[in-house]
Amino acid sequence: MSISLDQVTKRYQGVPVVNDVSLDIGDGEFFVLLGPSGSGKSTLLRAIAGLSGVDHGRIALHGRDVTHVAARGRGVGLVFQNYALFRHMTVAENIEFALRVRRVKAGDRQKRRQELLRLVALEGMDQRLPAQLSGGQQQRVAVARALAHKPEVLLLDEPFGALDAKIREELRRTIREVQRELGITTVLVTHDQEEAFALADRIGVMNLGRLLEIGRPHELYTRPATRFVATFLGAANLILAQQTKDGVRFGERPVSALVAAAPVHGTREHEVVAVVRPEEIEVAPKRESLSSGYLCKGAVDEIVFTGALERMRIRLNGGAEGLSLAYSNGDGTPYLEVTRTQHEQRAFEVIKGQTVAIGVRRVHVLPTPLSSFTVCAANEALAVALTQQPLLAELATRMKTRISMRVEPMLGVPGAECGDGPAFPGTTVIASQPDVAHQAEWLLKRGADEVLILPGNATPPQRVLIHWADEAVRSATLAVSASVLRHVSAEAVYIGIMPDMTPTAQRPHGVRALLDARSEAQAVHGLEMRTELRFGDVAHELTRQLGEAPGQMLILGVCQVGRLVEHFGTLLESARWPVLIVRREDER
Amino acid sequence: MALRQPNVLPGFGLTFGFTTFFLSALVLLPLCALVLMAASMQWHDFIHVVLSARALGSYRLSFGASFLAATINLVFGFIIAWTLVRYDFPGRKLIDALIDMPFALPTAVSGIALTTVFAQNGWIGQYLEPLGIKVAYTWIGVTVALTLIGMPFVVRSVQPALLEVQRDLEDAAETLGAGRFYVFRRIILPTVLPALLTGFTLAFARAVGEYGSVIFIAGNLPMKTEITPLLIVIHLEEFDYQGAAALGFVMLVISFVMLLTINLLQTWGRRRHVQAAR
Repeated sequence: MSISLDQVTKRYQGVPVVNDVSLDIGDGEFFVLLGPSGSGKSTLLRAIAGLSGVDHGRIALHGRDVTHVAARGRGVGLVFQNYALFRHMTVAENIEFALRVRRVKAGDRQKRRQELLRLVALEGMDQRLPAQLSGGQQQRVAVARALAHKPEVLLLDEPFGALDAKIREELRRTIREVQRELGITTVLVTHDQEEAFALADRIGVMNLGRLLEIGRPHELYTRPATRFVATFLGAANLILAQQTKDGVRFGERPVSALVAAAPVHGTREHEVVAVVRPEEIEVAPKRESLSSGYLCKGAVDEIVFTGALERMRIRLNGGAEGLSLAYSNGDGTPYLEVTRTQHEQRAFEVIKGQTVAIGVRRVHVLPTPLSSFTVCAANEALAVALTQQPLLAELATRMKTRISMRVEPMLGVPGAECGDGPAFPGTTVIASQPDVAHQAEWLLKRGADEVLILPGNATPPQRVLIHWADEAVRSATLAVSASVLRHVSAEAVYIGIMPDMTPTAQRPHGVRALLDARSEAQAVHGLEMRTELRFGDVAHELTRQLGEAPGQMLILGVCQVGRLVEHFGTLLESARWPVLIVRREDER
Repeated sequence: MALRQPNVLPGFGLTFGFTTFFLSALVLLPLCALVLMAASMQWHDFIHVVLSARALGSYRLSFGASFLAATINLVFGFIIAWTLVRYDFPGRKLIDALIDMPFALPTAVSGIALTTVFAQNGWIGQYLEPLGIKVAYTWIGVTVALTLIGMPFVVRSVQPALLEVQRDLEDAAETLGAGRFYVFRRIILPTVLPALLTGFTLAFARAVGEYGSVIFIAGNLPMKTEITPLLIVIHLEEFDYQGAAALGFVMLVISFVMLLTINLLQTWGRRRHVQAAR
């Protein structure tokens, strides 16, 4: 491995900007770190270069632990967005800088310089000053300069950011060629997905300090695991669907035949999020003329011509056909984004306002939970108030999740039936109040899979405690935790709790459970979490931990719903921290 | 020509007219009067005044102390500017405002204040005395006063230049293997050198012309701690206007030659880069 990161964490004023990132980059690999601004990708790159230290974790280059080695001892080459050329030095002096520092003889310096200038196609420019070069040329000089001392790793921090489109493409090609010719391990940071696709052997997508997913460009595009990656890499329509034993349904309509290898978790029927890329949508005048599976009808709302492609926005004839989007947009009417090629446009010309039949060629189902939030309260005023709750609003925005409302007048009344049909899809949200534990139990008994209990003033947490009362819900709890943690910049801590009286001989089991939990979190969800083993009463110990500092949240996995109030009543009703309860039947 | 080429700022003719007028009225004419007054002297009288032992002593002190003070300011002014630009600490704004104080203070006030502090029984003077260092009423005192006067010039010239040295440049140099001193010597210093030289020149020019603060701390012993501007005033008090003009003329020539040299050095340095670029 050329670059090995192990649980690298960097905090800035207490907030983790790089959060538990583990990553291995192979020899000669071109790796692209992709993410929106503020996702921590540049900070991570600077940490690899040694320009900023890390608060936790290890960094190894070619097997050598360099965590505490200064930048100049790491043997890396770094290229900056703004070139960072030494303006008082000529091109030649700039390129030879690293060699001059190393006291290389003038003759050898000159030879190396000629080599590098040929490599970046700038022969004969030796005596120019940076100010006399164009932006693209300056960046070529910066690349040559970063390669002069034959570094083992080349790091590029948004190198094309300051260049216009045509130069950008040219330089992109040059960098790819140079990288191939030298076989040098390269990490490039960018927020431009097109750039990432064009250059990368593998892409790592970052958001809020976390490395969400790693994969080859095509893999990530066609089979993203998370909402964020699905929407950040290209455009995506996210549609709520129902996972059943037989496959996936949109509303009442099965589209299982269309789904490409959707991973099914157990046999449980539950709500999922389906990704439909704009180019996988077909439009036709009538349902019968579709060559793909029929989805619904819609009216063309907007057509934008972008050259090779035509972009359309189609307003769906919403609820009637039972199709709902996984995110809420302004006015509540669901839209689908569609792109068509010139060829498709010629086959069926569409005008604005026309009603068309919509078909999907391919659907990808996200394996992650937390498909939607449903706010549940005894009357409408309470429900509306709860939709405005800051943590919920923030989570829904970050996750692009819709919040719907549901009024249950009999919420929490034992034995009462729920009013609006039995199913509670997605995550049900209730407000902290004195009998909230009863309400939670009531909901879980009536089929809710996840219940989020929110105190009125809760904000995005800094620390998320994870605990499950039964090993049977481990996988489900971890999956939910991973989903939550991808969208908050918090540290994750799993707390294993054993009874006080545990005999010494039993204790290794506790430690093993801890290690299992950690390796599953990392292997299946890419979630790095700390683990702690405690002794004592579970509810008491959790309450103590949560009370230690503000800004914490608990994710609690349970199996036996009937004894929730008995076990966790006081913990849930303290109203000082948000609690997300994950319930699964024993699936073993 | 200037009229035919449209410029962002119009009115070249008008502004150039003002420039010449003000330069003439405020700088050139008084200087001409000075030269004419000096020229009205007999040659051997002129030589007698200008090359008298007392005058020579005052030149040495005036230009020597000014040069030394400007050099001290070059080093410490740079450090102050560096601290103010690169670090954020409580009271930074306050210190930044303090820098300009020597500009605003009447020079006599700073002279008296310095004398109080550095006199044999002053706050600092009493500790220097046993070490055999006398500041007040010696050339050291003169240098201290001139340093105080010139300090803002260096700090204020270097500050904007330092702001321009991007962190990225230092980071780049560091990843290329350069140590801190190397980065300073090869990256930071060359970038701010023109600004440093400008600051030095301004501080030096100001120090040569300084009068108010020096006369209080210098003690004004002829041949030892008497600066040229004071000698000129002494001539004036004796109604020897011609002698004063002669000394003024000599100061003018020496100052002009020194400033011109520094300016030429800068131009030459810049041209070297342009040539290197060809």
